[in-house]
Formats: sequence, structure tokens, C-alpha cells
Amino acid sequence: MQSWKRKSLWLALSASWLLLILLGVSPLLRLAVPSRPLPGAPQGWPRWLDTELLLSFFQPGELPEDVPRPSRAPCGSGCNWAACFDTSQCRGGGLKVFVHPAPGPISETHRRILASIEGSRYHTFSPGEACLLLFLSLDAPAGEPSPVPLQWNGGKNHLVLSLHPAPRPKTFQLGQAMVAEASPTVDTFRPGFDVALPLLPEGHPFRGGAPGQLQQHSPHPRETLVALAEERGGWRTAGTDSSACPWDGRCEQDPGPEQTHPGVTLPNATFCLIPGHRSDALRFLQALQAGCIPVLLSPRWELPFSEVIDWTKAAIIADERLPLQVLAALQEMPPARVLALRQQTQFLWDAYFSSVEKIIHTTLETIQDRVFGASAHPSLMWNSPPGALLALPTFSTSPQDFPFYHLQQGSCLVGRFSALIWVGAEGQPPLKLIQAVAGSQHCAQILVLWSSERPLPPRGKWPETSVPLTVIEGHRKVSDRFFLHSAISTDAILSLDAHTSLSTSEVDFAFSVWQSFPERMVGFLTWSHFWDKARGSWGYTAERANEFSMVLTTAAFYHRYYHTLFTRSLPKALRSLADEAPTCVDVLMNFLVAAVTKLPPIKLPYGKQHQGASPPPASGSSGPKPQTPDLDCINLMAAEFGHMPLVSSRLRLDPVLFKDPVSVLRKKYRSLEKP
Amino acid sequence: MCASVKYNIRGPALIPRMKTKHRIYYITLFSIVLLGLIATGMFQFWPHSIESSDDWGVEKRSVHDVPVVRLPADSPIPERGDLSCRMHTCFDVYRCGFNPKNKIKVYIYSLKKYVDDFGVPVSNTISREYNELLTAISDSDYYTDDINRACLFVPSIDVLNQNTLRIKETAQALAQLSRWDRGTNHLLFNMLPGSPPDYNTALDVPRDRALLAGGGFSTWTYRQGYDVSIPVYSPLSAEVDLPEKGPGPRRYFLLSSQMVLHPEYREDLDALQAKYGDSVLVLDKCTNLSEGVLSVRKRCHKHQVFDYPQVLQEATFCVVLRGARLGQAVLSDVLQAGCVPVVIADSYVLPFSEVLDWKRASVVVPEEKVSDMYSILQSIPQRQIEEMQRQAQWFWEAYFQSVKAIALATLQIINDRIYPYAAISYEEWNDPPAVKWSSVSNPLFLPLIPPQSQGFTAIVLTYDRVESLFRVITEVSKVPSLSKLLVVWNNQNKNPPEESLWPKIRVPLKVVKTAENKLSNRFFPYDEIETEAVLAIDDDIIMLTSDELQFGYEVWREFPDRLVGYPGRLHLWDHEMNKWKYESEWTNEVSMVLTGAAFYHKYFNYLYTYKMPGDIKNWVDAHMNCEDIAMNFLVANVTGKAVIKVTPRKKFKCPECTAIDGLSLDQTHMVERSECINKFASVFGTMPLKVVEHRADPVLYKDDFPEKLKSFPNIGSL
Repeated sequence: MQSWKRKSLWLALSASWLLLILLGVSPLLRLAVPSRPLPGAPQGWPRWLDTELLLSFFQPGELPEDVPRPSRAPCGSGCNWAACFDTSQCRGGGLKVFVHPAPGPISETHRRILASIEGSRYHTFSPGEACLLLFLSLDAPAGEPSPVPLQWNGGKNHLVLSLHPAPRPKTFQLGQAMVAEASPTVDTFRPGFDVALPLLPEGHPFRGGAPGQLQQHSPHPRETLVALAEERGGWRTAGTDSSACPWDGRCEQDPGPEQTHPGVTLPNATFCLIPGHRSDALRFLQALQAGCIPVLLSPRWELPFSEVIDWTKAAIIADERLPLQVLAALQEMPPARVLALRQQTQFLWDAYFSSVEKIIHTTLETIQDRVFGASAHPSLMWNSPPGALLALPTFSTSPQDFPFYHLQQGSCLVGRFSALIWVGAEGQPPLKLIQAVAGSQHCAQILVLWSSERPLPPRGKWPETSVPLTVIEGHRKVSDRFFLHSAISTDAILSLDAHTSLSTSEVDFAFSVWQSFPERMVGFLTWSHFWDKARGSWGYTAERANEFSMVLTTAAFYHRYYHTLFTRSLPKALRSLADEAPTCVDVLMNFLVAAVTKLPPIKLPYGKQHQGASPPPASGSSGPKPQTPDLDCINLMAAEFGHMPLVSSRLRLDPVLFKDPVSVLRKKYRSLEKP
Repeated sequence: MCASVKYNIRGPALIPRMKTKHRIYYITLFSIVLLGLIATGMFQFWPHSIESSDDWGVEKRSVHDVPVVRLPADSPIPERGDLSCRMHTCFDVYRCGFNPKNKIKVYIYSLKKYVDDFGVPVSNTISREYNELLTAISDSDYYTDDINRACLFVPSIDVLNQNTLRIKETAQALAQLSRWDRGTNHLLFNMLPGSPPDYNTALDVPRDRALLAGGGFSTWTYRQGYDVSIPVYSPLSAEVDLPEKGPGPRRYFLLSSQMVLHPEYREDLDALQAKYGDSVLVLDKCTNLSEGVLSVRKRCHKHQVFDYPQVLQEATFCVVLRGARLGQAVLSDVLQAGCVPVVIADSYVLPFSEVLDWKRASVVVPEEKVSDMYSILQSIPQRQIEEMQRQAQWFWEAYFQSVKAIALATLQIINDRIYPYAAISYEEWNDPPAVKWSSVSNPLFLPLIPPQSQGFTAIVLTYDRVESLFRVITEVSKVPSLSKLLVVWNNQNKNPPEESLWPKIRVPLKVVKTAENKLSNRFFPYDEIETEAVLAIDDDIIMLTSDELQFGYEVWREFPDRLVGYPGRLHLWDHEMNKWKYESEWTNEVSMVLTGAAFYHKYFNYLYTYKMPGDIKNWVDAHMNCEDIAMNFLVANVTGKAVIKVTPRKKFKCPECTAIDGLSLDQTHMVERSECINKFASVFGTMPLKVVEHRADPVLYKDDFPEKLKSFPNIGSL
């Protein structure tokens, strides 16, 4: 018993000692020897003992703000938008521009710019109505006197536009006028007031313009990494490791594997290094077109349209003093970034820079955005395809209303459509068609556009439908069908002709396809265009072929936005052309959509059972007579657009089990296969 | 063992000899130990005052104990700020040399107290906010304590509020900083610039080339691309925790809460209130508040008292009018309340305007148009207003809510200028987290149809079926647009056949030997791939006709950002099991294509190899299955688009086999594939696959048209 007691006593004692040592030593040690911070660890900003007692930088009692209203901002060189532009003159929808007549004889460019503005949606003939007065300073060589125009008004609400760097009119004061000039120097440029234009090469196309030169999204594996713009005008390619400072004279002695490309031809390179001098601004546009990512070395000039274009998405603005760092960064740039930059160069080139006309329109659109304030283009519209000239803020300022930005916005399309039936000359209510369309579960409403000479049939003549049916009286013009019908409530429009024959199943399938391609036209009947070598002009045909480039609007799904674009953005000349020749309307709509999307439309299978029922696929009575001289709309339009936007496709989208040798009961869209 | 035995033997002999003295000795010893134990335990667990370990190493002093520096009256004064300064002229970028992390290094001068010849202090030593700001910088990745490695220097001289300092002496204090060098690479923070009566819009302290992060810049004083415009911090936001309030219509359409307004503006606002009645609320100082009520936290309209800033949550638009200064702290309060600021301050450079898109969160109204304000605001659609409310709240959370947020955003902006190739994008600055999550940015966003002449590279993954492989090579080589053939030899135990044995084809043929037999080798971005289009094809796919393959390539050209394949598959939601199910029945829908033969952009090889989320890539290699499902997930997730199934082809089978559709499929295979879908969906955190009801056929497929005139007459069967 005793021994047990002793043993347990000892045990408890030793255990307690052990515990004491374990627990007690470390804090005691810590107390005794204050540990020093590890050498090299940052000391950091001290934690003050009296942090809580520190006073705020701003005492609430201190409210000194009772001062006279600040004087108006100084004018002249000190102008800014709020001080020197009077927006009260800009009422109504959109910017109205008046162009001062040129005092003397004018050059070809000047004349064409004038014509282009006059044909555009911005123009007005009355200076009193105008919100912006444009003074074109295109031809006046520096030094030659140019008289102060009438209605100059101290330059208020004036824009002096010059496509060259700074040959401003010398004889009169700019006053409060804004300046739009090519590559202005950073020091004189007034952000938010002036507009920076690109420096254009001689003979820059006026309209249309060459597309970007990039043929593929990602760089070719053997492509050179870097090309450098040379003073003499050529481009020099150099391996990144050959010399540490390819733009510095010091490295000339190291030739390395470099090559000089004389002239303006751009080498195949991923990045184009452009020195920052003002004269090098020309190279910037060159690189942009070639899809060679511009690397600007401390540019001393303002980048074109920097107010609206986010250049960090298409170019790299680097410091010329850090060659090693820049080259290393270019070499290590992740492929995803290179891919994005390359594509953005092409988009920007094509959207804003490829022609003089686009540059002028971009300038006016920039100023219109300032006037619009909250209802201007969001940045997304400027900086992603199709670009701000084709995405009109008058339609909506919410990107999700447009057919282009659903993915970026993470938004969804509404799963309904509106059918728009155009009743032409024959003037019969298309009863069967209405029933077929109303049978679709996705149909939200049916609109009948009565464009016939005959009187509107009474209410009772129209069939009973499960969806609302609205009859609108048109102006008996073919372009009526693309006007903005406020009654249309859905994103999707199914455009139909009274004599079109479609089944409910076809409508359902077409709508399901359109939801995958909301920016394109999805239709059943197609035409294709071709280059007629013998005549040296474009032609188009309705003959069935292995490819197509247009779908007829007699049976097609497209986005409601294209109505706005048709009405608001097309030059007047084109719209009147469409009214004169009814077949032209289809061509025009296809041109418009293709110019926006740069993609072909989508064709769906069209049952043979309809072929007899439908007259030759054209609206109105006249069939497609492609080469009739008086209906040469395709060439007129190609001229007006400046290029041929149509793109051919060789595929058709069918239901997944289309005409497969499997049980018909498996098939959802079996009626599409009826013989 | 032995010792204890001995002890046990000896023990009993000892006990009878133990005297009382001994016993007392033992008990005392024991109690001492016990006491010690208790004391130690208490010491361990008592909330005591020894600093927690993360504070170790940071000095703990009072701001009043800092060294005093006497500035002689004739010590040098820096030049005034140079208005023409730009990064490439006034900033010494060499100090920021190559840096693998692309982060600038910021040094903070230690705190000193500056006094003049008479011992009168130059300014308050440091304000609470400036201390917070320097603490934030010191805690960030930017901080360095090595003055020689620093790229940016932040003086500890507090110039946040110009009113609290003596201008000339502060300038002298700046000039004597050890690395001042005309202010090069020095960053000053100032929120309240100017002084009565004319209130300059930038700090009046001469500062030479130093960068200024200023609140209240006007376009005349702001050096674009050099200075940084910052908010005027509102100390209220630290005190008040506003309840969450979503976007939507609110009680007042327009509210003005500023206490000090120019009488002319107040007249304009009162006129608006008279005209539009209850939807406009113009608040003012409270005149007869009871004692002890903070006047900053109350606003009055006539005799009605409102809590500030809570009242801001009741309004859709809130007026932010300029005072003597352009920058107003009320902007911060307004944003916090999710009220859309109506900024009326001509020429004011909004905070962080270099990177923030204020059009999305505010309305700027010219000073002249105060009286038209209401109608301007009314023309904004409700949906856009809600978007702005959301955006305003997000700007506050991200860039306004603390001094730390302001400091870090400022440094990020400067960092982006110095390392532009690593800069943060517009979307990262501006998109609220909800949009960032749901949006998809297609890596191939440019609508571009690659030229046909480019052709495609066929990649055949093979193990040892040489005979079948050679047949595939021969068949594929007949496709007109094939430009190169790459055989990925996945068998490490066997060498590929000799060169002479391979079929002779018209395009280059390359064999790549892999180091390990892995399925992911098929999707590796080999340098040998020179075309953008890649055809992945198994070594037993011999049933595809040349027309079928060529047509597949043509379809890919029209949809270069999608997977274009032949047999389609579908994922379905199994309601009974509550999970995803793989479906290979011949249905009317498609959401995946098999990569046994599929065209896609070679960039997806890069994504598959290097950017596949989670452990999917290793998982696929370990299970030797589902690499095609993984590829379908990856492409759909990054593009947000569906696959394109081409031609009626429903399955890959060798013509020799006589398998009956459906029945031949191994049940366990289906279970495994379903598991893959569930696994991938959980790794991706979403189901990216898109279901469509269409497939692509040649324009004249099965049309009543002469076969020989068709481009792709031989399109194959199921």
C-alpha cells in the first residue's frame, strides 16, 4: 500500500515537473529574451500606440465652402467641354451637323467628305438647327489665308477638322472651337474636348477600305516575334535575343538574324515596335491593319479616338527606356493575351480606321456621345464587335438588348418571337400562314403589315388566333417592312410574305436555330452572289447551288435591332433605291446584316411541298432577274458600301435526325421531311 | 525495468524510516509544483498583454516620440509642380527595373516631426487617415523597406488636408528627404487641396516632379497619365453600416443632402423641389438640434429631421454639387447608399477616372444646367438606372470604402503604367463581381473565316494498331484540305514502324513519340501544328468519307471557335438520381461531339494542356476515359457556345463489326461517362454544355438535285 502511494506520488511529481517545464519555459523565455524580427523581414510602418487618438484629416466643423460661385473657365486654349460647348442647341435625336461651305475651290477628298456627311444621318442644311458646326480644314496648306467663316461665333460649338497634323487656319483665332487633327501632341491635346485622329497615309481609301490583313486568329508558330519600325520607312525584324536594345543606335554593331524590309510592306510579326515620335504615328495604323500588335514606345502623340477606344485592348504602350523589360514581357506574354490583342487590332481597324468615311463618322459619333451624356454608347459597344458605328445607342443603351453582346453580358434571350407578315399587292389575308405561325408555342404576337392598294378587310375577315393579331397599315413602300414598328415587343422577328408557305414545325425549328445565332439572319430561301468576270461586275442568282450568301426576308428570323439599323443608319440613297426596286430590299437587308456580322446568313431546309406554292422568291411581282440593267442594285449597293460585305456559306442547318433512316416517331421535326 | 524492480524491492524498507520531516518535505515540494503548474496554466490561457506574434518586429511607439527635425528658414524649397510632366519625362523608370512579378516597390519614409527655427511644428504630425493609408501600403505586396530597391517613395509627411499645414515649411521638409531628387518618383496623397479664398484644385505645396494623388483635380491642374485622381475619403463610412438595399425605384427621385451650397445653386434646387413636388427632396443643416446630437449625422427639410447618411438610401439620384472645392466627400456617401450621383462640377476629374468608367455609375450635368437636371435624369430608362445603382455600390465597395482601398487602387494605377503588359483590364476594374462571374469572353471573338488554303493538321493518336493506323492515314490523306499529318505514338514499349513502311502520302507526315501513355497527349499543343484547324482522329476511324471530312473542315471555317464533330452526344438531367446522365441514344438534340474525329482550333489544345480547371486533366489520364467530354466542357465553358454536329453520322464503328445499335454499348461505359459529366460539372462549378437541335449538312444534302453537281455527294451514312 505504502509503496503504491509513494510510486504514485513520484509519478505525479515528475509528471507535474514535466508539464511545468513544457508549458512554462517558452513564455518565460519569451519574456526574458525579446525576440528580434528576422533579419531581412520588412520592418513596415509602425503600429503607433496612440493610433486611436490620432485626429481625422478633416474635422467636421471645418466647412469653409461658403465662397462665390467660381468664375467661368477661361477660354481659348483653356477650353473644356463644359465651358466651351453649348449643348442646349442639340435637341432631338442625334447630333445635327452643319458644314461650312469652303471658300475656294475644293479638292476631291474635300468634296467626297462633304458628300458623305450630307448623305449621312448627321447632316443638316441649316446652321441654326445644327448642334455642331464643322469647319473642314483639309486643303489649306499652312500659311495660306483662310477667311473666317460666317456664323463663326467665336468658335462656339465648332469643330475644326483636319486630317493632317496641325495645319490649322492661321488667320483666325480658334476661339472656343474644338480641334480634330491627326496625331496631336500630348502637350496641346485637350482631353474630352479635342478629338485625336489617326495619321493617314496618302491615298487612304475614302469608303469601304481594305479589310484587316490578318488571316488567322493565332500567330503562326514560325512567325517572327518582333518587328521594328525604322526611320527610313521600312520594318526590321529582329529576334528578341539578338540584341538587348533593338531601337537603340548602340546595338547596331550586332547584326544578328535580322532582316530589313524596305518599303511599307509589313513583315509577318506578332509585335510591331513603334518609336514615339510624331512622324511614326503613320506606322501605327499600318501595324494595326496588318494585325501586328503595336507596341508604342512612349508615344508623344495622343492615340486616335483615345476618348472612346480602350487601346490597352489592342496595343501595348511601353516605356522606351526599358528595352530589356519590354522584350522580356513580350516574350513571356501568355497566348491568351496575344490572341486577344491581335483580334482587337483587326476589329478596330475594320470598325473605325479602314476608310476616311469611317474616321469622320467616328469623330462625329464621339462628339454625339458627349452630347448624349448618360444615353451615349457604353464602353463595351465601342470596344467589341461590331463597334459603335453599327451599334446605335438610340436603340438602347443596355448591351443586352442588342444581338451581339449576350455572352459578354451573361444574359439570355427571351424565348418568344413576333411574326411580321407583309401583305403586298394581292391584298388577301394570309389565313393559312397566320394559323401556321400562331400554332407555334414561341409566337408572342402576329403583326400584319397591310401594304396593298386594296382596302383593309374588316375585323371579321381575320382568323381567330391564340396570340394577339395586330394589323398595321403601311405606306405602300417596300422598305416599310423594316421600319421601326413600336408594336414589336420581342427581340426576334419572323419576317414573312403573305404568299409564303410555312408549317408550324418549320417555324419552331427555325426559331430554335435563331436562338443560337441571334446576330444572323436565319431563313429558308436563298440567293447567292458571284463575280461576273465577263461583265466585270457583281451578279446574283436564285438558282439552287452548293453555296449561298443571302436569305430572303419572305421567310426569315432576325433580330429586331436590324430594323433600327435599317432605318437609322443607312444612307438615304440606299433606302430610296430599295423602294424603287422591290427585289433590292432583300439584297439591302442582307448587305446590312453581313456588313455588321461579317458572317454568312443561315439556311434551313425548305420542304419541297412549298416550292410550288411559292412564286419565285422575291417580294412583289417581279422575280429575280439578276442582270436586268435597271435592277442592278447589287452593284449600286456594293459601290455605296464601298465593298462587298456578303459572305458565302456552304452549309445548311438541319434537324439532328433529318432524313435519317430511323423511325419517324423519334423525330421532333418530322414534317420538315415531307416529300 | 530492472531499476524499477530494484526500487520496488528497496521501497518498503524505506517507508518505515520516513520521518514526519520527510513527509512535510514531500508535501511542500508537491504543492510548490502544483502551484507552479496552476500559475503556468493561468499564464498560458489568461488573456495577457504580451503582443500577439504578428506584431512582433513592428515598433510600438507613440507618434509623439518620433525624432524632431529642425528646418532652417533658408533650407531649399522645391520648384512648383511642373504641368508638362509625363511618365516618360518626369518619372525615373530605371528604378523600377525588371521585376518578375510586375509589381512596383514602394518605400515609406519614417515618421519625423518637423519644426521651424522657433520650434513651432510645421503641421500635425500625422492624421488618422494618413496613418491608415501608410499602414495599408506597408501591409501590401508593394512595400519594401529597402530604399535602394524602391521604385516609388511615399513621404510620411501628411499633406491630405492643405489647411492643416504650412506650405513653405512643408515644401522644405519634402526637399530634405534623403531621396527627394527634385521629387522624382515621389508620391503625395492629398484630398483637400487649396485654401481660401480661391481654392486651387491641386495641392499648393511646391513639389517639383512628384506625382500627386489628389482629390478634387480639375482638368487644368490634372496631368493626364501622370497624376492620379482619388476620392475625398468620407470618415462617415467607417462609422455607419448601412443596411443592404438592392437597386430599384426609391421614395425620392432626386435628393440633395449637402449642407453648404452656394445660394444660387440652392435656389435652383428649391425651384426644382417646388416644380416636381414630393419626388425631389432638398435637405439642409439642422438649426435647432438638441444638445449631444451630432450635426453631421442629421439633415433637415423645414422642420423634418432626417438621419444622414441613411436618407440617401431613399433616393434614386443624389446631387453632388461642387463647393469651394471640386472634390466632395459626399460622393462617397452617395455611392455607399447605392444612390446614383449626379455630379455637377464643371471640369472636375472624377476619382480614378483613368480606369473607372463613370458613365456607368453616375450622371454628369453641366453647372449651367442645374435647372434642367430633372428632365435630363427622367430620360434615363429604368433598367439603366438600376444598372447604375448597382455600379455605384460596386465602385464604393471596391475603391471608396476605406483609405486602404483608395491607397491600393492608386498604387495599382501607377503599377499598370509601369508594367503595361501586365495591366488590369477595363472589365476587371469596372465589372461588378456578378457580371464577372456570369460573362463569357470568347477567346476567338473576331468574326473571321480562315482562308481555305490554310488547310488543317490531322492528329492521329495511336498505340499499336499499325494496320488500322495506316488505313486511316491513307484515307485522311485523300482529303483535299489536309496540309499535314501528325501521328502521336503513345506506346513507349514499342518503336513506330520504320519510315519505309509508312504509306506514301502527298502531305508531310510526322511521328511524335510521347514519354508516357496518356490520353491528354492527343490534345497537346505540338510545335508541329502549323495550321489553326486541327482534326483529332482515332487510329480506327476509317469509315469517314473524304467528302465528309472535307465538309467538316469547311464547317469549321465558318465556326472556328467551336468543336465540329460527327457523332453527337447529349447530357441529360436525371430527375430520379438528381444528377447528370450521359446519353448516346439517337435523340433530336446534341450537346457534345466525340473527339474520335473532330475539328477544332489549335488554341484549345493549349487550353486543354495548361488551363484545364481543377484536376480534370490528371483525372482523365488516370481513368483513361472522358478526354472528349473534358474537351467539350472546356470549349463550351470558354466560348459559351454549342458544338456543331456535321452530317448524319451517329456512331463510329468499323464496317466489319456487326454491332446492333444501342445494345452493343457497354453498360459500365455509360455509367463511367455519366460520372465524368457529374465530376466535370462540379469542377467547373456550372454546366457549360449547350443543347441544340440542329446539325450541319451540305446545302443540297438529300435535295432533289443531280448528285454529280453537288459539292459533297458522298456524305456517308449513319
